[in-house]
Amino acid sequence: MKPLLQVENLSLRYEMEKQNVLSSLNFKLNRGESVLLLGPSGSGKSTLTSCLNGLFPRELDGEMSGNVFVHGVENRETKPGERSQAVGVVFQDPETQFCMMTVEDEVAFGLENIGIAHQEMEEKIDSALALVNMLPYKKTDIATLSGGQKQKLALACILALKPELIILDEPTANLDPIATRDFISTLKDLKNNLNFGLIVIEHKLDGWTEITERVILLNQHGEIFHDGSIREVIKEKGQQLKEEGIWIPRVTEHILREHPYLQEPPLTVEEYRRNPVLLADREIDQPIKTESNTVPLLEAKDISWTVNKHEILHNISLTFHQGEFVAIVGANGSGKTSLSRMLAGLRQPTTGNLLVHGKPIKQWKESMLRQEIGYVFQNPEHQFITNTVYDEVAFSLQWKDMRPSQVQEKVEEILDTCGLLKLKHAHPFTLSQGQKRRLSVATMLIDNQSLLLLDEPTFGQDAHSNQELMKLLHKKHQTGATLIMITHDMDLIHDYATRVIIMKDGRVVEDCSPSELWKGDPEKLEAWQLTLPVAVQLKNIYEEEVNDVLTTT
Amino acid sequence: MNNWRFKEIVVMAALAVVFGVVYLAFLPLGSLLVGFMGPIGYDFIFGIWFIVSIIAAYILQKPGAAFLSETIAAMIEVLLGNAVGPMLIVTGMVQGIGAEAVFAATRWKNYSTWVLIAAGMGSSVTSFIYGYFMSGYAALATEYVIAMFVVRLISGALIAGLLGKALSEGLARTGALSSFALGKQQRKDAA
Amino acid sequence: MFLQRLNPSYKAVTIIVFIIFLATIFEPVTPLLFLIWTLAVTFLFGGVSLKKYLLYFTPFIIFALGMLWTSIAFADTPNNPSDTISLFGTSLPKESVLTALALSLRVLNVAALSLMFVFTTNIVHFILSMMQQLKLPPRIAYGVLAGYRFLPMLKDELMIIHDAHRIRGVNQAKTMREKWQNYKRYLIPLLASAIRKAERTAMAMESKGFTGDKSRSFYRQFSIQKQDFIFSIIMLIGFTISYLISYQLG
Ligand SMILES: Nc1ncnc2c1ncn2[C@@H]1O[C@H](COP(=O)(O)OP(=O)(O)OP(=O)(O)O)[C@@H](O)[C@H]1O
Ligand SMILES: Nc1ncnc2c1ncn2[C@@H]1O[C@H](COP(=O)(O)OP(=O)(O)OP(=O)(O)O)[C@@H](O)[C@H]1O
Ligand SMILES: [Mg+2]
Ligand SMILES: [Mg+2]
Repeated sequence: MKPLLQVENLSLRYEMEKQNVLSSLNFKLNRGESVLLLGPSGSGKSTLTSCLNGLFPRELDGEMSGNVFVHGVENRETKPGERSQAVGVVFQDPETQFCMMTVEDEVAFGLENIGIAHQEMEEKIDSALALVNMLPYKKTDIATLSGGQKQKLALACILALKPELIILDEPTANLDPIATRDFISTLKDLKNNLNFGLIVIEHKLDGWTEITERVILLNQHGEIFHDGSIREVIKEKGQQLKEEGIWIPRVTEHILREHPYLQEPPLTVEEYRRNPVLLADREIDQPIKTESNTVPLLEAKDISWTVNKHEILHNISLTFHQGEFVAIVGANGSGKTSLSRMLAGLRQPTTGNLLVHGKPIKQWKESMLRQEIGYVFQNPEHQFITNTVYDEVAFSLQWKDMRPSQVQEKVEEILDTCGLLKLKHAHPFTLSQGQKRRLSVATMLIDNQSLLLLDEPTFGQDAHSNQELMKLLHKKHQTGATLIMITHDMDLIHDYATRVIIMKDGRVVEDCSPSELWKGDPEKLEAWQLTLPVAVQLKNIYEEEVNDVLTTT
Repeated sequence: MNNWRFKEIVVMAALAVVFGVVYLAFLPLGSLLVGFMGPIGYDFIFGIWFIVSIIAAYILQKPGAAFLSETIAAMIEVLLGNAVGPMLIVTGMVQGIGAEAVFAATRWKNYSTWVLIAAGMGSSVTSFIYGYFMSGYAALATEYVIAMFVVRLISGALIAGLLGKALSEGLARTGALSSFALGKQQRKDAA
Repeated sequence: MFLQRLNPSYKAVTIIVFIIFLATIFEPVTPLLFLIWTLAVTFLFGGVSLKKYLLYFTPFIIFALGMLWTSIAFADTPNNPSDTISLFGTSLPKESVLTALALSLRVLNVAALSLMFVFTTNIVHFILSMMQQLKLPPRIAYGVLAGYRFLPMLKDELMIIHDAHRIRGVNQAKTMREKWQNYKRYLIPLLASAIRKAERTAMAMESKGFTGDKSRSFYRQFSIQKQDFIFSIIMLIGFTISYLISYQLG
């Protein structure tokens, strides 16, 4: 029998680039089989997606060679749109994959394309929505859905078509921890029932290894350097993984850090629970002392925000002092982005006041305010206002008193750190999702505002970039800047933050230090759609075990 | 339409939507000018209402781009509920045909400045003929009608032709057109 | 309401037919009476809110008044200059006044007919029904639908561009002139972003199996029913009555 998918010698080059994005890829996928596609940011994973569903070479400006067969039929032999009926893709950017106004129409669109009879349609729509728990939103306007709901809807649209192969491109990058967990388990159930082939592109593996342990690894040059089990790679090619900057499961990473020669390190918390090994208490950077007796840097006094008669933020009061590293967390749609916009002075609260250095924000001159407060948008594309990567970073320096050679040096330094130097002439919009994210953060890091607000600055990053970005932020913090960062990454909070603010339904429900939060009630955490950081989970399990051993003997 | 890529159709529609809104924004201004100066008031800014056909044609360089984009923009105006109603679609079609005819005369090969200006004026001509019969310009004094015509021609040439060209090229510089005819052409010129 | 339930394409065609009828009329009485008829139908069978209607209709009234005085002032030399009527203390050629009135009323009547359509029609349904009843090719219909989705996004998009410029420290507009300059600076990014989004949406649609084939099924089906004919008959009666009365009056 022919394999479901067969890729032969696939190479691809974008028109303006000198080097191939993908070089000589070869792999196979059988019916019902699953695989995780991993690789550093910019290695061509999203590009490969477009080759598999037949969008490329037709829509490509560049060259593609080699073949992609689905059930033995070459993609080039199919008409536009036809291949998509066998290969369903959920794209990386959830904002731009819908074409209709409401949820039901969006699902129906796909069904109409494959000519499902009118009478059957309603039922198929309902069942597809039910699969992802979106049935209550059937008549909802897509524009009002939160990021996570959009992602689920995209999956429902694909499931309704019953494709034999489903490709998910970083489906959980913007989901909160619990939603991520639920998404993976929904998918696992679906797969058991429907038996489709599945290719998942992700950076953070945690949880996904429960669905499959087969991985295909791409390196920075877009070549496959491994196709096989994840356990094998970790054992045999650990060094190479590190060099390429590919994440391994967080649990494994923690264990290997302390027991580098462990033969079969656990991949999940569950596996660790079965066989806990000793973990030393890691030292956490001493939080920088904040001077709470001085004038606060930023003060929100009882702010509320209403749009279209909906109150989105309710009576929020917060004070930020110099030198803090604050994390804002909470479920998708809990109002984090909205709050950060108020704090940055981009939107006026409906009621309440905002003081910067003790002075009402309205009395600040816009140009002075912008030298105090920097902001990184959740959607990186919103940040860009020039036409090349280089200009984008240099733009922030143009008001400074600097020699051109100095500017160039500084810009190239930060581009290098972010792994963007080779792309300095590229247009910001042609970057990969992770590259866009780094560029948007770089534009703000190069400037020297004393307060920086960052809306999910590390989503969609590979291990290496994540580390570099956090190093930069950490350095900035060390020099005395105040950072307020929205994130869904609990481990990041554990490692860096001095304070956590938790949002729920437009309210601040908790404001404490990370360690206090980890010690708190686990059920509360769950209700806020949060989980404990992996490091803390492991530590807790270990201590439980030790206690068990102590009490039973 | 068969040699169009679907994304070209959607891009054309998106342009038409944006300009449909722009067109609507200029309607009250037009009405105001008419209120003060009589029917000729419209003619001074008439070119703005042809601009999308020039831009779409220049960007996509495909047969039908000028005609369709103008038609869709008119549709959007109607659907937004502010304009002269379904008839406006016909008006849009008539305007689009004028520009399309000029591009057709070059077999959709030449998009030089002069052709774009001529296309703007082409819309002026067809829209004027249409207006002459539909809005009853016949009832107006001949000299006045001639003045209207001349003003409209100039407006079509400058606002639709030249401004349309400038906007398209500004867009090309942002890199957004890289996979469309104008973007490709500019890249070739640069190389 | 009755008007809302009609087939959108059929409604549009009917209205266009009557607009063409109107274009053949050069006296003021028919458009005046038919205007009243149109308004009556709109409010009786469309349940349109009066406030909203006036908001849209007022510009046409201003426009029509403008037409009125200019067509009188710049009118061709009448065939029969001695036949005058006096208005506001000046005597004007009767023929010019009548033609001007006919033109202005025609404008108003056309406007009323269009608003009747606009206020009672769902746009997405209109496009879908054009595909089903008027054989609009799906590639164009869905292209337009995808484009139409950008409409509500335009305002957000402008806001985003504005925010980006603020964050990056681009000078703020204070005077009207600067604001105008700013809008000019925004138009290109706005178009660029619309084009990029359009491109991606198109690809997403093809990835959902959209081929542009005519043989697709429809979730929302539209057909032409008895009520649609009733609508044309109502309109036809109104027009005939107006025309006959006008004929009686000479
Ligand atoms: N349209 C394009 N034109 C030119 N270069 C492009 C284009 N799209 C992507 N690239 C480049 O191709 C490379 C691979 O991009 P791709 O989006 O496939 O990466 P990725 O592996 O999905 O990365 P990420 O994990 O960050 O999403 C990047 O260096 C990117 O800059
Ligand atoms: N401009 C707006 N108009 C209407 N509703 C809005 C607007 N902005 C945000 N909302 C709503 O406010 C709520 C909070 O949105 P917000 O983007 O602040 O959430 P978030 O916490 O950042 O979520 P995520 O983690 O998914 O980014 C959501 O329900 C959203 O739909
Ligand atoms: Mg990607
Ligand atoms: Mg957010």
